[in-house]
Amino acid sequence: MANPANGTKRLLQQGYLLRLLVRRNIKNQYYRSFIGVLWTVLNPLLNMLVMAFVFSELFGMGSEGGLDYPLYILSGNIIFSIMSSSTSGSLPCLVNQQDMLQKTKVSLALFPTANVFSSLVTFGFSFIALLVVALIRFASGAFVFHWQILLTVALLPAVVLFSLGLSYLLSTLYVFFRDIQHVYTVLLTLWTYLTPLFYSIKALNKPIVEKLMKFNPMYHYVTYFRDLLMGTIPSVWTHVVCYGFALGMFAVGILVMTLVRNKIAAKL
Amino acid sequence: MKKEDREILREMEATDCLLDVRNVTMKFTKYEVGVDSLKELVVRALRGNLQHEQFVCLKKISFQLHRGEAVAVIGRNGVGKSTLLKIVSGILYPTRGTVHRRGRIAPLLQLGAGFDHNATGLENIYLNAAIMGYTKKEINEKLPAILDFAELGDFIHSPVKTYSSGMMARLGFSIAVNMDADIMLIDEILAVGDIAFQNKCFNKLQELRAKGLTFLIVSHGPNIETLCDRAIWIERGRMVANGPAREIFEAYEAMMTNPATSSRV
Repeated sequence: MANPANGTKRLLQQGYLLRLLVRRNIKNQYYRSFIGVLWTVLNPLLNMLVMAFVFSELFGMGSEGGLDYPLYILSGNIIFSIMSSSTSGSLPCLVNQQDMLQKTKVSLALFPTANVFSSLVTFGFSFIALLVVALIRFASGAFVFHWQILLTVALLPAVVLFSLGLSYLLSTLYVFFRDIQHVYTVLLTLWTYLTPLFYSIKALNKPIVEKLMKFNPMYHYVTYFRDLLMGTIPSVWTHVVCYGFALGMFAVGILVMTLVRNKIAAKL
Repeated sequence: MKKEDREILREMEATDCLLDVRNVTMKFTKYEVGVDSLKELVVRALRGNLQHEQFVCLKKISFQLHRGEAVAVIGRNGVGKSTLLKIVSGILYPTRGTVHRRGRIAPLLQLGAGFDHNATGLENIYLNAAIMGYTKKEINEKLPAILDFAELGDFIHSPVKTYSSGMMARLGFSIAVNMDADIMLIDEILAVGDIAFQNKCFNKLQELRAKGLTFLIVSHGPNIETLCDRAIWIERGRMVANGPAREIFEAYEAMMTNPATSSRV
């Protein structure tokens, strides 16, 4: 039964199914909109414009920690939204697929996984938007390109693992406790404000916040990305922290999902 | 894999048995109000009332299915037939007992379960078959047969949400029967579509049966009696009979039409 050739075939098959599910997610997201998938680039771009306008014109924020403000906002947001959009999409995903999960035998983890990978694809498009903005700011002399931006590929696995873990956890919990949706919406808003997306910790000048921030994994991911944009390679310790949070969250998610796996279909 | 599991599988291989169900008992938790919320859990915990009533849906069901057999599962509504099929297909896990399977299982519990309504019929063929565990290559090979059987014509390029329920059933059935499964689990799905299509489905099932496919069917239809050679009768979660289809169907019909013994209908 445990034939290795069969195992590989099954893995490839599940990979194919995952690809189909991701493609379906992306298509459904902008289903029937006029310019379709172009929205994935436009959306973060427009959001960034609004926020850059509000915070720099109305609140008078300038260049943060040496990074041009529009890029500061955009970089923080696109990393954060890998996590936020995938987890808030994953939370109800098992319950939404109850028809399928009750009538067909399919691996539970596939649905949250597909959500995370869809968010990663969206990140790819947002990254293009970021490059466009960077190019414009480069032309006006406010930004300099560094090759370190390529190292983003070293950060993404950590963010993905973290999002996967949290997605597994939330989608499983939601099957049993339907009220966590409301709790999570609030927590996610809080999390957005507790992560320096619009402001910088240095500007706050509160040592206690700086200390507590170390426990926010998203802070580390966002900072990592901004460091790369500014041409700094994060320290080894930063990598340990980033991947520590990621692997920890992933382990918790997998564990919870595996423990109650057999009860999910009956509970839907 | 545990030792007992290996032994059962070896035994199944020796007798060409594809499905072995042993002492399967299924219990469900019976909730009253406020089904599944964190609030409810906290309130219950504070009241010290965390025990919930359980009801036994299936009790000690055992049977085997050998290659080429077609077995009908009969019984009244709500006696646990569908639950049994879900356990056999691996969607639900039994509270006690074991299920061992050999070969590919195609569960047809609901036609078009898992269709994405915004996607076209064609896209759904790939999605549905991939969910059933087939690779892209396998699906490509079967595609002409699936399209041919579904008879949807150009509608195959339209979103599934524009389909009628009969069209959806046709597509779902066509996908399921055209993929090469070893065991098909069918749950009262043949009552859809027009008569012409029903007949077509029935003929297809008979053709597959002649090819040596194995069936486990939940149904009441008279057609099924001719398709199956064995029947399992379930009453209040227990298996009351397991034997030749004709005899059991007769006994079942006699019980159902005799009001003295069927007081609960």
